[in-house]
Amino acid sequence: MNFDFLDFFLNPVLRAPTWGCILMCLASSLMGVLIFLRKRSLLGETLSHATYPGVCIGVSVFALLFPEHEEWTFLAVLGGAFLSSLLGLKAIEWLERRGKVRTDAALCFVLAVFFGIGIVAASAMQSSLPTWHKQVQMLLFGQAATMTDMHIAIYGGLALLISMFLCATFPSLQASLFDRDFAMSTGIRVTFLERILFWLLLLSLIVGIRSVGVVLMSGMVIAPAIAARQFSDRLQTVFGLAALFGALSGLLGNYFSIIGSVALSKGGQTLTLPTGPMIVLVGTAFALLSLAFAPKRGLVFRVGRVFAFRFRCLQENILKGIWKKGTLSFEQLKEAHQIPRFSLQWTIWKLIREGWAIETAGRTFQLTEDGRQKAASIVRLHRLWEVYLTEELGLQVEKVHRTAEEMEHILTPEIEEKLTRLLSDPKEDPHRQPIPERPRAL
Amino acid sequence: MNPYWGNNFFTFFSTFVSRIFHGNFFASDEIQIAVLSFVAISCGLIGPFLVLKRMAMFANSLSHTILLGIAIAYLVAASLWGGGFFDLSTLLIGAFVAALITAFFTEGLVRFFRLQEDASVGLVFTALFALGITVVTLFTRDIHISTEAVMGNVDLLQMGDFKISLFLAVLNFAAVFLFYRHFQLASFDKSLAQTLGCRSGLVHFLLLFLAAATCVGAFRAVGVILVLAFLVGPFLTARLFCHRLPWLFFWSSAIGIFASFTGVALARHLLSIYGLALSTGGLVVACIGLFYVVAVFFKWVICAKLFLLGKERCEKELPY
Repeated sequence: MNFDFLDFFLNPVLRAPTWGCILMCLASSLMGVLIFLRKRSLLGETLSHATYPGVCIGVSVFALLFPEHEEWTFLAVLGGAFLSSLLGLKAIEWLERRGKVRTDAALCFVLAVFFGIGIVAASAMQSSLPTWHKQVQMLLFGQAATMTDMHIAIYGGLALLISMFLCATFPSLQASLFDRDFAMSTGIRVTFLERILFWLLLLSLIVGIRSVGVVLMSGMVIAPAIAARQFSDRLQTVFGLAALFGALSGLLGNYFSIIGSVALSKGGQTLTLPTGPMIVLVGTAFALLSLAFAPKRGLVFRVGRVFAFRFRCLQENILKGIWKKGTLSFEQLKEAHQIPRFSLQWTIWKLIREGWAIETAGRTFQLTEDGRQKAASIVRLHRLWEVYLTEELGLQVEKVHRTAEEMEHILTPEIEEKLTRLLSDPKEDPHRQPIPERPRAL
Repeated sequence: MNPYWGNNFFTFFSTFVSRIFHGNFFASDEIQIAVLSFVAISCGLIGPFLVLKRMAMFANSLSHTILLGIAIAYLVAASLWGGGFFDLSTLLIGAFVAALITAFFTEGLVRFFRLQEDASVGLVFTALFALGITVVTLFTRDIHISTEAVMGNVDLLQMGDFKISLFLAVLNFAAVFLFYRHFQLASFDKSLAQTLGCRSGLVHFLLLFLAAATCVGAFRAVGVILVLAFLVGPFLTARLFCHRLPWLFFWSSAIGIFASFTGVALARHLLSIYGLALSTGGLVVACIGLFYVVAVFFKWVICAKLFLLGKERCEKELPY
């Protein structure tokens, strides 16, 4: 079997899982942003596990009451899951407030006990209601493939409901997220809002378990939020990006699950890759890539900035050294800076290429006119700062050199101008060294 | 023929006692009780430290990542010395690998990627668990093994599992006995521990490894999620009445063992009388939850009684 990528959206059999996954993951990643920003990411883990007993009991009750309406089982799933995760939420709150149990222990305990009860209920179904038991087992790791158009309508409707609520209450939501007390003082009913948000969180979790599964739901909830937070500080943008990442992981996860199952099922043997792990792996990949490569916050950029700054410091120190002595040989530079031969060579090569220095006979280096001015301005910053520290802040003369050594790389022309005016353009630093004139323009 | 066949809840215990006196052991139900009790002892020894160090959710992460750990260890063991999936060496290496990768990734995301801690824990274990499920599914070409990893299956327990769980209980006991001071210091006062020259990083990792090993021991019996109830539940119950660490170990283990007996007997009872085959692991965990609720109720009754006797005495008897 070969699938065109477009078939995933249009083909009557394939489109339901695809759209279902996209919509579910979109809704849950929107709610994920909220618990991520509240620093309660693990709440999703407990609550999604707490849905399991409700699902089992709900489905068995449904099976006993309406055994011939199997296509409506998902209503029982939704109802049971909602009730039991609400009970789980109450249990956590009770343990934290009245039982004086710490949050992590309370989450862990509720998770395990609810899941245990769920397993008991599931095992009870195994012998008495085998076909329905299969449906419940499917919810452990998610199975999108068996969804129909009717499911999309319901799940899509719920996803829409969640997004609409977020849009409608956005201003008050923003206020209560950033400053709860302020939001209260402006007359927003924060506790009421929070209660509704918790209900919506439960709703998004129980909607999501159809495709991602009870066990892995929490990863699905927070991974898009983590990814989105890397790119922006604005709440709107974070919500938007999280929705995008969530929808993409739903789409790609479902795609990989179907493609993988087809590829693995050769030779009469069928093997279905569950959708949940695939979606979570795609979502995690998004999160990790954003953590590494996002502009400003990503690891690569932060490390890059640190190295760029260190490199500039080294360059400026070399320029300063040559300026003081006139010419310096490679060996002298190496002794002065104590860095590996290779990186020193590279730094000097860059200096020469940028036109600050030239190499003369016998591996010695001199400054060009530009280099001299640049070095003079650095030395000027250094000595100005020393004057400032001793005269304005009253520090002892022998203590000022080390801070000046750092500040010379940081001070901007603007600060230099202010310092010059404040100190009325001094000619000598505290160590009786001349301060170079202000260079004309670099 | 299982000697417990057709027993109800009460005759189960009388059969058990009489069989013990006659020196018979190792029927299926007895192995279940033994394995679950050893798991309860391991958890009763490690659980208190985990809860006190606020690492309960970290234990949750560990219990999930051992699946990937065991999968990796199995690949290594099978290719190097032909080890099986449930050999003791494979399991121990798996626990070590799991503790290592969980700690490495969770800490790494916090430290280098500046991610907040709760999100880091949540992301890492779900991702590693998803990876574990995929790897196991691909290699065994069997989807049921991942379901079993989550649910556990007490009925499949054999002598091998008994030995493994016994070994792990002894290992945990030895470690807690030897490093009791270190663990205690590290859980109550980290800075004092550092001042006294306790290598808190090493102690922390040892605790992680023991937690992972405990989860591994419980892996076949109750799966990766229910073991958390063993780790946290008995300790929370014991703490309602008891505040000394050594006694907490004792009572946590005792409550866990008691829950194991009750759960197994209950499963047998339901099977004999109603013909319901319920998951024993799930029942044991439900018992742990029930015990907590009952304990809270009793504490409330005692507190109400003491309140009638006088407020001062109430405060004296119940520190919080």
